[in-house]
Amino acid sequence: MNFMAVVFVLLGLLFFTGGAVGIIRMPDFYSRLHPAGKLDTMGLLMSMLGVALYTIQEFSLGEVLTGLKIMFIVVFVFITSPTATHAIVDAGVRAGLEPWTQDISREEP
Amino acid sequence: MKIVALASVLLCGGILIFGTAGFPDFGDPLSPPASHVSPHYIEEAVAETSVPNIVTAVLADYRGFDTLFETAVVFSAAMACFFLLRVFREDERSPSEKLYRHLPTGIILRIDPGGKAPQSNEFEPIDPTWVPHDMIVKTTTRLIIPFIQLFGLYVIAHGHHSPGGGFQGGVILGSSLILYALSQNLRMAIGRMGETVSAVFCAAGVFIYAGAGALCLLMGANFLDYAALSPLFGVDAIQARSLGILVVEIGVGLAVMSAMVWIYYNLASVGRHQEGL
Repeated sequence: MNFMAVVFVLLGLLFFTGGAVGIIRMPDFYSRLHPAGKLDTMGLLMSMLGVALYTIQEFSLGEVLTGLKIMFIVVFVFITSPTATHAIVDAGVRAGLEPWTQDISREEP
Repeated sequence: MKIVALASVLLCGGILIFGTAGFPDFGDPLSPPASHVSPHYIEEAVAETSVPNIVTAVLADYRGFDTLFETAVVFSAAMACFFLLRVFREDERSPSEKLYRHLPTGIILRIDPGGKAPQSNEFEPIDPTWVPHDMIVKTTTRLIIPFIQLFGLYVIAHGHHSPGGGFQGGVILGSSLILYALSQNLRMAIGRMGETVSAVFCAAGVFIYAGAGALCLLMGANFLDYAALSPLFGVDAIQARSLGILVVEIGVGLAVMSAMVWIYYNLASVGRHQEGL
């Protein structure tokens, strides 16, 4: 069980790292929000699953309840995080921010 | 005059900084609070108050006066916002034209001053400044707000056993109402919890706290000595202190929640209470 927990937390950290790199490397506002939203959902699912597995060592009622509460965090973040990303993108569009585009035919000076 | 003010501020600040030299070192085990008060709290708090969370016991019982006046500070901050910002007259800059959204089609009507407002139920009055009509955000907040409020109540009630208490739970409750105002609009939020209600709740929270203390005084003990309330609760003195902390936390939660909502109403609409952000 501990081994599985470590594997899940490491997978979650991998997703978080990828998301963080994406936030820095992506060219503009909208595309930066894409890894930001992904990071919250997948990375949090993996790492919280790992933490919940680590909590449940010997299937007693208290430990299972704690694990369920940890999974509730994931449920609520799954509902709210995409909505928050949507609202931020919506605000950007309404404020008139143009999406980044690159014209391949034209050479950069 | 500015130079005098600057000089006095610098003087006061310098004296305060100079005064810090007299403090005991950070983490010094021989300092007076660490050698007398803290060991008593750590060793005796559970036995004296039957509250496992020592922070709550110290905050609401041993140092009840401190928290009482913190709550009073929150209340006076809300009052100050009200007195500074609230405007009761109509805004001259934008004449009172009214906007109505036709719900089935989403068409927005503008009614000039003196015009006749639509009477049908299909029209919804909306804010003069344009508020986005976002189905996704509205649906999600409608789904999530009950859970936020339930969690806020849990944090208030469970402050004895886990991190939490009146301030934290009150902030969570207040933020759920602010989220409602953000996702719908300010007018609907005021319809749910009006200005009068939030003002009365804010005062009632402080009143519950101070009233619990005064009740102890009436029962023949010191102010905020909840052990005197044991005949009222029908439990022994130690359990009464635990219940007294709960009463006080409820008062704090009520005051903080309504103070946050009240300040938000005044700040978001510059005191006019008719338009959102």
